[in-house]
Amino acid sequence: MEPSLARVDYLQVGVTAQKTMRLLPASGKKATQKVVVGDQDGVVTCFGIKKGEAVPVFKTLPGQKISRLELGGALNTPQEKIFVAVGSEVRGFTKRGKQFLSFETNLTESIKAMYISGADLFLCASYIYNHYCDCKDQHYFLSGDKINDVLCLPVDKVNCITPVLACQDRVLRVLQGSDLLYEVELPGPPTVLALSNGNGGDSGEEIVYGTSDGKLGVTQITGTKAIPRWEIGNEKKRGGILCIDSFDILGDGVKELLVGRDDGMIEIYSFESADDPVLRHDYALSESIASIQGGCVGKDGYDEILAATYSGWLTGLTTEPVHREGGSGEELKLSQEMQNKISSLRNELEQLQIKVLQEREKYQQSSHSSTAVSSVPAFSVNDKFTLNKDDASYSLILEVQTAIDNVLVQSDVPLDLLDVDKNSAVVSFSSCDSEVSETKEPNSNFLLATYRCQANTTRLELKVRSIEGQYGTLQAYVTPRIQPKTCQVHQYQIKPLSLHQRTHSIDQDRPMNTLILKGQFSFAEIHSWVVFCLPEVPEKTPAGECITFYFQNTFLGTQLESTYRKGEGYFKSDNISTISILKDVFSKEATKRKINLNMSYDVNEESVRHTLKLIHPKLEYQQLLAKKVHLIDALRELQVHEGNVDFLLPKYRSILEEADQLLEEYKRQPAHLERLYGMITDLFIDKFKFKGTNVKTKVPLLLETLDGCDQDGLIAFFDAA
Amino acid sequence: MLVPVFTLKLNHKILPRMVALGRYDGTHPCLAAATQAGKVFIHNPHARGQRINTNRMVQSNQDSDISLLNINQGITCLTSGVLNPQLGYDCLLVGTQTNLLAYDVYNNSDLFYREVSDGANAIVLGKLGDISPPLAIIGGNCALQGFDYEGNDRFWTVTGDNVRSLALCDFDDDGKTELLVGSEDFDIRVFKEDEIVAEMSETETITALSPMYGSRFGYALANGTVGVYNKAARYWRIKSKNQAMSIHAFDLNSDGVCELITGWSNGKVDARSDRTGEVIFKDNFASSIAGLVEGDYRMDGTTQLICCSIDGEVRGYLPGGEEMKGNLMDTSAEQDLIRELSQKKQNLLLELKNYEENTKAELNTQLKEADGQRGLIPANTQLQTALSVNLGSDSQSAHVELCISTTNDTIIRAVLIFAEGIFEGESHVVHPSLQNLSGCVRVPLTPPKDVPVDLHIKAFVGYRNSTQFHVFELTRQLPRFSMYALSSPDLATEPLSFVNCTMNERPQRIVMWLNQSFLLPEDAEFQSAPFQVCFTSLRNAGQLCIKIKPGGEISINTDDIDLAGDIIQSMASFLAIEDLQVEADFPAYFEELRKVLVKVDEHHSVNQRITADMAELSNLIRSMLVQAEDARLLGDMKNMKTRYSELYDLNRDLINQYKIRCNNHTELLNNLKAVNQAIQRAGRLRVGKPKTQVISACRDAIRSNNFNTLFRIMRVGTASS
Repeated sequence: MEPSLARVDYLQVGVTAQKTMRLLPASGKKATQKVVVGDQDGVVTCFGIKKGEAVPVFKTLPGQKISRLELGGALNTPQEKIFVAVGSEVRGFTKRGKQFLSFETNLTESIKAMYISGADLFLCASYIYNHYCDCKDQHYFLSGDKINDVLCLPVDKVNCITPVLACQDRVLRVLQGSDLLYEVELPGPPTVLALSNGNGGDSGEEIVYGTSDGKLGVTQITGTKAIPRWEIGNEKKRGGILCIDSFDILGDGVKELLVGRDDGMIEIYSFESADDPVLRHDYALSESIASIQGGCVGKDGYDEILAATYSGWLTGLTTEPVHREGGSGEELKLSQEMQNKISSLRNELEQLQIKVLQEREKYQQSSHSSTAVSSVPAFSVNDKFTLNKDDASYSLILEVQTAIDNVLVQSDVPLDLLDVDKNSAVVSFSSCDSEVSETKEPNSNFLLATYRCQANTTRLELKVRSIEGQYGTLQAYVTPRIQPKTCQVHQYQIKPLSLHQRTHSIDQDRPMNTLILKGQFSFAEIHSWVVFCLPEVPEKTPAGECITFYFQNTFLGTQLESTYRKGEGYFKSDNISTISILKDVFSKEATKRKINLNMSYDVNEESVRHTLKLIHPKLEYQQLLAKKVHLIDALRELQVHEGNVDFLLPKYRSILEEADQLLEEYKRQPAHLERLYGMITDLFIDKFKFKGTNVKTKVPLLLETLDGCDQDGLIAFFDAA
Repeated sequence: MLVPVFTLKLNHKILPRMVALGRYDGTHPCLAAATQAGKVFIHNPHARGQRINTNRMVQSNQDSDISLLNINQGITCLTSGVLNPQLGYDCLLVGTQTNLLAYDVYNNSDLFYREVSDGANAIVLGKLGDISPPLAIIGGNCALQGFDYEGNDRFWTVTGDNVRSLALCDFDDDGKTELLVGSEDFDIRVFKEDEIVAEMSETETITALSPMYGSRFGYALANGTVGVYNKAARYWRIKSKNQAMSIHAFDLNSDGVCELITGWSNGKVDARSDRTGEVIFKDNFASSIAGLVEGDYRMDGTTQLICCSIDGEVRGYLPGGEEMKGNLMDTSAEQDLIRELSQKKQNLLLELKNYEENTKAELNTQLKEADGQRGLIPANTQLQTALSVNLGSDSQSAHVELCISTTNDTIIRAVLIFAEGIFEGESHVVHPSLQNLSGCVRVPLTPPKDVPVDLHIKAFVGYRNSTQFHVFELTRQLPRFSMYALSSPDLATEPLSFVNCTMNERPQRIVMWLNQSFLLPEDAEFQSAPFQVCFTSLRNAGQLCIKIKPGGEISINTDDIDLAGDIIQSMASFLAIEDLQVEADFPAYFEELRKVLVKVDEHHSVNQRITADMAELSNLIRSMLVQAEDARLLGDMKNMKTRYSELYDLNRDLINQYKIRCNNHTELLNNLKAVNQAIQRAGRLRVGKPKTQVISACRDAIRSNNFNTLFRIMRVGTASS
């Protein structure tokens, strides 16, 4: 049965953060549930739906922004007390809106994640986890990387308090008291946690996680280790997961998994058997889904999925059938309701318009005064800059609460801006060299592009390709369509080893080159250099004396191990170019701080051969693909001409048969071949740089050899040069 | 929601813009489209298996509904329709780079096959003005030619550049159709028979034109713009990052008014309201759209909109009926309206909040460092702009300079200029590096053509360390002849070429035009005749003098005939002059033209000679082949060998000659284009009737090969003295 869900927009509040909307349990005989939502204006809004219109129950006064909203209550009673996290404070409200708790925590940072179970309160700031019982400090833990979410296994089933932290460095940290019990390695940085099936499964130990790169999975947290149950990759390249809920929306007696993503997708997974989720339905909204929950809101007897989006829209996907035509009395009434809603909105708008006009005039007049100042209204920009593993490119997502007018993208490093099918904005590249500056100094722009957005675009996705070794800053100036017109600049670092990603372990058997640093530097200093060079490293200096991080190059699959402490650092990689880049950056940084660095390196000849062997199959594959794609048109013409393809060699016939897949693949990875050529050239130059010879003159020869050359030939060229 | 009533997969590629629907037997509609390898396929689902294979037509082996037509040349345009009203059925017209074929599909015979030296880039079939038989009008290199059903040349004129699109439309509501011509010089010209009645300047090559109804027509540009004109006024336009492949007018929502249907390069098809451009329907194909046609393809008495993609997918849509109430999209209109109104409300509330915050900020009037970061600037900050001519320096060529500055200590972080036609893309960005920041930015502009341009300037104003900036938006117009700098009159360098004319206008009005069209340091004033101003072109340092003699005679001295034409046309439209005859002489240009004409003659004779040679050679080859085969059958291997090697040599000669012929032909085309352009330029020096007369007189002179008369016409405007 295909569920048919109709979309209903209820209400818009301010910008909402992740997990800030919940449904209150149905009370008494009334079957519809009330919605409670907290926004970034600091307002908690609670409302119910009567005859299709939102009727407010209560609304608090504006204040600091609300980062989380959870429901709680004594165990085994309806969870209908509302808790919100505001700054470093937790406030409690009854379902009627009476504040009964204001708990000023001892956290110095603002709260990022919150979980409530009975009298136990679990709070997380960026790196700190705190457990309170009845508002009394119980336990404390300092995480190695940023904490994105927290939950605690159900106490009634597990019989002890087992908090789980979702950390940015791709692990779940399972705690006991103030101590780390163990870590669970995940395929991506987890952004959200939920109890599987809403209660942790039969054992109460199963949790669902969603990652920022769009993966979803369930793992069982036992007392000693984690047992992975299932995991779904992100084949369709959808957005990161922001919220998860379990609810039986299909009405088949089994709870489905509801997932909300940052590209506006809502997905419903059903379970044929316990560990076999199937995507049953998806629905696309135009902005990130910050919170999601299943329940009964709009109409008694019809279940629905309620989602809160980034810009504060509360949207329902209801099972209530919507007939557009047909003249039954109820339907007519419905459209009457709509008409009322529309006319009341229009009235409201008219009044607002008058008010705005007055204010606008006042503002204009103030420009004649010499003492008055004009401030820029702040607006919030939800941005995400992440490395995609599949095609080794960065995607930059910008989301604003109102429609975007234009975005200026500027970079001081050479970058390729790629086209994204989804976005409809008109892009225009501006030349960077024709500028005249007053001082005649270069303006160091390598990329200047404007994106002029179509009306109603609130979310813009850009794709950027970087080159390792060239680092700098990418800036985005975002101008939304609000008066007075303003723009906000956001900066993103392109790091020297921009294509590297953190991994949990590396293959120790590969031939490695080593770079050893020794000198008078502190642990914090060398950590800051590593942060400067590599993505996904926590900015905070790690606890302890010594730290090891593992990385993988997303494009080539080569690896890097970095181990460092006060006064010394070891960097091992099978790719000599990686070592060369690190060496250059470290010496530059050290010179800047006037630190005397002693650098030594151990170059393993075998590693070059190894890296070539790693690259060559990719190269060969790409060359073949390019050749095949080149042939498709000619073969098709032959096909039309001759009427059939029986006379062709099987290999050509197979090209024709696979034509569509080949073209698709070719389109998916533009400039892949050029990038591979570039990396082989870098490898070639770097190999000889460590020997102290400059081989730049031989590069044209190398490029010549690369065309249609086998692996041994390439290795021979590297050895011979 | 509107869904296709039929979908076909034709398994043949379709070349973009080359699809036509015709009733080639008078009753059954068939789809004709150009495909790869110089072929046209005809899809006829109505008469299966009745076709016989004859000279041109070959039944496809793959699909019995499809017949293939061999053209053996790259097809450049295709259409079908009634050419001979007596026949009672449609014929197919196929244009190539050198020929035009009118083909009777039903009888499988050629109606005519004409050589067209200017090529056929676009074709339209129909009645033009008072010319009684329907004409097949083709547009080539700067030339337009119309043929009747016998292949007689009934219409000829020239236009500014290569023609890319044609349409017939009743532009002035007089009940007769005019010809709309879109060309590569970004102009849409309207020809009332051979007289130009209107010219509209666009911003890119016009790739498609489509009559809507009455005097309305749709257009599409190479940069992704589509829009609708009513007479010479543009109703609306939109720009997409994709390209519009085909446009067509069709009433999809049955409201009695045609919508503009656009097929895009990304496979999207959308229907937009002719008045507002609002999207009322959209659908997606897997690949780019090749063409849009309409017809009763199912033979059930209804007309469908038929969309074809380049991969051969065909979908037919029936107009939405009564029950859809014009609502063709999936979402409910009321929901959308509510959403839109709420969004508006939210925007107004935000604006209001911005003003409130501003007043709050004003209470605290002292500017602090932190305020700068938030983007607090004095309210009386103004943005000033100035346009001036910069004669350039050693490092920079001469240009028009736009100077943008603030009135206090605030800085300009970046300037975005949106303008069409003068930058590579649609925008230009100036983004000074941090050390070059100041309150003044100079932007060099070099418009490539003499057209007035609106500059939409957005400047980001704030302080050095701001992360939020004020966006100042303003629009400046760049005058038409901004690339000419005022210089002192110098008799020695005064150009020999001139245009003289007499206008019955007060000289003051002409000076007004001068002030408006040029960038003068200060407004010129007319004291008394004679009056003289001189300019130097910033592009090539050419001189331009405009003199007003006592008695109202105006003379324009410049060696650039295009510039002279532009000035005459600009003046005429400013002063609302309908007819203007001039006397002109451009000795240098005429000399060049004379050379070109001689060359055209040479190329023609070379062409004839080579054709004769080739015919001779191919005869020789034929006999040689017979001899060689005879020798083989007789077993005389030695003789056969010598014959075949001779044959090989002959073949090589033939190929060489072919190459020479090709080169000769391209050169011939270029020269013919130059001749056509010359006629067009001579026309542009005049206005109204004299203009039409000059063009047709020039054509007659060229036909009769009378060069002296040609130059005489160009000089004085008529053949007779």
